[in-house]
Amino acid sequence: MSETSSMKRHMGLKASRTLANTLIYVLLIALSVIWLIPFICIVLQSFRVESTWQVGYVIPQKWGIDNYRNLFSTNFPRWYINTFVTAVCTALLQTIIVLCMSYTLSRFRFKMRKPLMKFMLILGMFPGMLSMIILYRVLKDLGLTQANATPGLILVYVASSGMGYYVSKGFFDTIPKSLDEAARVDGATRAQVLNKIILPLSKPIVIYTILTAFMGPWGDFVFARYISFGDPAGMNVAVGLYNWLTPDQINKNYTMFCAGGVLVAVPVTLLFLFLQKYYVEGVTGGAVKG
Amino acid sequence: MAQLSDLEYLKLSKGRKIGYKLGRFFAGIPKAFANLGLKIWDVLKKGASAVGREVKDIITSFIQGDWKTKVSYLVMGFGCLARGQILRGLLFLLFEIVFIGYMVLSGGYWLSMMPSLGKVGPTEEYNEIYDVFVTKYNDNSFQILLYSVLTIFFIIAFIYTWRVNIRQSRMAEKILATGKRLKSGKEDLHSLTDESFHKTLLALPLTGIIIFTVLPIIFMILVAFTNYDGSHDGYISNLFHWVGMDNFNTLFSWKSANGTQSYAATFGEILSWTLMWAFFATFSNYFLGMFVAMAINKKGIKVKKLWRTILVMTIAIPQFISLLYVSKMFAKDGILNGFLLSMGWITKALPFWEDPIWARVTVIMINIWIGIPYLMLIATGILMNIPADLYESARIDGANPWQQYTRITLPYMLFITGPYLLTSFTGNMNNFNVIYLLTGGAPLNPAASSAAGNVGYTDLLITWLFKITTGADSKYYLASVVGILVFVVVALISLIVYNVLPSIKNEEDFQ
Amino acid sequence: MASVKLTDVKKVYDNNVTAVHDFNLEIADKEFVVFVGPSGCGKSTTLRMIAGLEDISGGTLEIDGEVVNDLQPKDRDIAMVFQNYALYPHMTVYDNIAFSLRLKKVPEDEIYERVTNAAKILGITEYLTRKPRALSGGQRQRVAIGRAMVRNAKVFLMDEPLSNLDAKLRNQMRAEIILLRQKLDTTFVYVTHDQTEAMTLGDRIVIMKDGFIEQVGTPQEVFDTPVNLFVAGFIGSPQMNFLKAKLVQEGTGYCVDILGAKIPLNADQTAVLSGKNVRSQDIILGVRPEHTTVLFDKTENAIECKIDVNEMMGSELHLHLSSANDDKIIVRLPTVDLTKEQRESLGYGNKMYITFPAKVMHLFDPETERSLIDG
Repeated sequence: MSETSSMKRHMGLKASRTLANTLIYVLLIALSVIWLIPFICIVLQSFRVESTWQVGYVIPQKWGIDNYRNLFSTNFPRWYINTFVTAVCTALLQTIIVLCMSYTLSRFRFKMRKPLMKFMLILGMFPGMLSMIILYRVLKDLGLTQANATPGLILVYVASSGMGYYVSKGFFDTIPKSLDEAARVDGATRAQVLNKIILPLSKPIVIYTILTAFMGPWGDFVFARYISFGDPAGMNVAVGLYNWLTPDQINKNYTMFCAGGVLVAVPVTLLFLFLQKYYVEGVTGGAVKG
Repeated sequence: MAQLSDLEYLKLSKGRKIGYKLGRFFAGIPKAFANLGLKIWDVLKKGASAVGREVKDIITSFIQGDWKTKVSYLVMGFGCLARGQILRGLLFLLFEIVFIGYMVLSGGYWLSMMPSLGKVGPTEEYNEIYDVFVTKYNDNSFQILLYSVLTIFFIIAFIYTWRVNIRQSRMAEKILATGKRLKSGKEDLHSLTDESFHKTLLALPLTGIIIFTVLPIIFMILVAFTNYDGSHDGYISNLFHWVGMDNFNTLFSWKSANGTQSYAATFGEILSWTLMWAFFATFSNYFLGMFVAMAINKKGIKVKKLWRTILVMTIAIPQFISLLYVSKMFAKDGILNGFLLSMGWITKALPFWEDPIWARVTVIMINIWIGIPYLMLIATGILMNIPADLYESARIDGANPWQQYTRITLPYMLFITGPYLLTSFTGNMNNFNVIYLLTGGAPLNPAASSAAGNVGYTDLLITWLFKITTGADSKYYLASVVGILVFVVVALISLIVYNVLPSIKNEEDFQ
Repeated sequence: MASVKLTDVKKVYDNNVTAVHDFNLEIADKEFVVFVGPSGCGKSTTLRMIAGLEDISGGTLEIDGEVVNDLQPKDRDIAMVFQNYALYPHMTVYDNIAFSLRLKKVPEDEIYERVTNAAKILGITEYLTRKPRALSGGQRQRVAIGRAMVRNAKVFLMDEPLSNLDAKLRNQMRAEIILLRQKLDTTFVYVTHDQTEAMTLGDRIVIMKDGFIEQVGTPQEVFDTPVNLFVAGFIGSPQMNFLKAKLVQEGTGYCVDILGAKIPLNADQTAVLSGKNVRSQDIILGVRPEHTTVLFDKTENAIECKIDVNEMMGSELHLHLSSANDDKIIVRLPTVDLTKEQRESLGYGNKMYITFPAKVMHLFDPETERSLIDG
């Protein structure tokens, strides 16, 4: 009697677990569909050739790569190059600056350290967009706007990037300070400590910083739009493609937008998936450290 | 609310415990402000006494210093040069020459123009040869303001360097008096890779921040006290001038001119939606992201990595593509409505972007779509760090899954991610991309728009700010005022959370 | 191979907390000095100031007669072993040990020579190509020591090098450090919180508390003549017993009155006390557990106690007793001579009697906590 009831309970446990897991599978499949549908749609529509405007169906009636071919007769290649150059330069310079800043704040104890960190915290509370007006006029005086927006944009992205030191400082904080001390006792200067001890140990955070710095310019819209100021030669992909979806252009360029979007998204996504591990480490570490 | 002792607190009923904590939270707010006031006062006092000390030291150095130090008061770097520290001395001297040259050539002019921001605006001049009136551009208010701020920066830097020059001369004098040797130029350079390595590392990042963040912010704060706008751009159309507190008075005034809504009402409307948006955007993502993470993490779920990768992939796709595309999907003639219509489930297109309520709900929903993968990642990382024995012991104590979630998972997550929640809240308040790319602020709010800009129902303060700074009648001064207010709101929220939260958090300390 | 001299060395942190107060000590060439004290007593801070890892807030530090206050660690010619070993995780054991030599641009041949030599002494030759992550705690410890060894530095600093090891390994490594010291023949400064390590390793021990030096002396000195209550309690295990008592002046002599039991002081003690002109007063009496005699029967001038706990340690018993005025006393009782009845009488709550000769007694002033006789 007691044996059967315990069996029943046992079966019940197993059954309820199976039920719960089934429900979760259903949920996960539903989520995956919801998350992927827009991207599947955009890919499908980029191959649609029977019309260039937005339609109420997904599967093209006539397939072709006309949209991709047409991209090359627009400013799209120029935008693409602009964005790529910006992204590469930003990734390089921003990484150097962020690492300098975060390593210093993690390792050195100088008088102005705390005030400096508080000051940057307060600075960060001002909406960055506010600086745009003046930065635009200054860059314009330097000749770095409109057609020459790319160097101007790099300058804007890189210059203030020292304020985004939190995540990598959190990482440096986890490297024991006694390693620095041991190296200094062993006869290393501070610069040698950084080069020979800390940097070789910081591969994950260096890759994370490069990756995020590289991805930033692909999606930035506000500054890029302000600084290119309507000149197609200076736009990045975000600004250029945005203009194709304004009411007066959408009927002409909707499918081409999709094709452009695919060309932008695919390399960035591949790179990201390839380096996913480092990104995940950085994000979780950053959130835990606040 | 009076503080209870631990034992008294434990005797309270569950409801009363919550009431007590809430009471303590709100009672703590004035104290937080008082503390802030005290801190600021303290910083000011310390600053004043530091300046006092410096001044005293400058004077005593002059009285007690030898003639080399005394000459340094006039000729920077002389003390170093005279004592053989050639490199330092030359740098000081060079700085002084550059500074004086700059002040004579242009700095003085900019400073003298600062109070007026320009005297002569553009004038029409008759050109006899071509017999036409030609516009002649004269003073440039924008440049005057910008360069006078720069000049003030430069003067501060000069005073600081002058002070350092005196201190070094005096120190060198003292070191020589004890019979020790001074550092050579080579050693100075070498120290930049060792004990002063932080100066080397910080030089570039800080210069960037000062020029590209601090300077613009100070400039824009100053703009809030001028009438800089499209029709007073300072050069081509008209000069702009100082107007004192007028812009703040305008924004805080409930009075409205013929039929338009007052600025204060418009601002209030946008602010309340901004806060509402930030709240929903933050917490919906937070809880749903945690939920998805837990679902994937659950024992017995296979191919965990695949599910995660599918979600994470969407982080990689640049937001402007996904947001713009999704925005069009939800449009009146978009795929979604087209699909629903063709299936016959609806007879009329759903007003996703046309109806205020629909639009607000839709942006929050799409933001969940955007935000869940990110939160899922964070939550996964933290969930895996929760010690398994906590759950084992809870299960032995008889906790069911829901109790395990509310008693272990949730408090742990909240404790660890408290600061993240705060930054994510303030980040959402300024989440320009999502709103601007999805709706551009639409649908239009006619009443609010009558005040300024094309205010829509989904406009945040930050998109409103963007709208007033673009277009023909850009009201830069208004944008500055709004920007300052955004800062104030963000700072207030951060202050309250940072100062009051720890007292509540400590009790569930997991560390 | 150098002397170290600290004169009024001070450490004040930015928040105005003073970690080390005027520290004065001369460490002779080739001496082995141990800093010992509870956590937060400033011992590590002092060591780190010698290493150059902390700024010196005041006073002077000389190594080999040269003032080194403002020198960077790399210019002080010191070697240091850290508590958590601080091995460079991305380098092999060989590269770890060779790191300092490479920075000094020593030729690779010589580096090979010195590293393999050190590895042989420490018995880690077979691990030279491994990364630290693949080593056990004890092996890591040896690598850390090896890294310091190859330097031939003037001073050898060790910051709690054994505290991350388990008890067995710790005993073993302690013995090896003694051997190493004989081989290296250099000046050692060693920091620990463990008084056993201090006693076994040091030529001299510096006992610290709250940033002050409490006593400096050879292990025998600090054990026999602790100058105050803190040192008396800190050195020795189990801890010294402290009893409330009275010092009574009787004619030209003195005696100690503990709950009516009177023990007269010996001639030396009497001489010191009369020299200092000490009157009758309350005192705290310190007696080490191993110096206490246990009596099973009541005798004159024995102190009556109640047994709280009886710990069997094998060769001896540790009895935890409490006296009539609730002083807690621990005594060590060798088991070898005990009869069966005696063992049975040692149960919880039973009465016991203890006594001790005058020469093992330490007399402390309850106010100043200083010893009335020593120091």
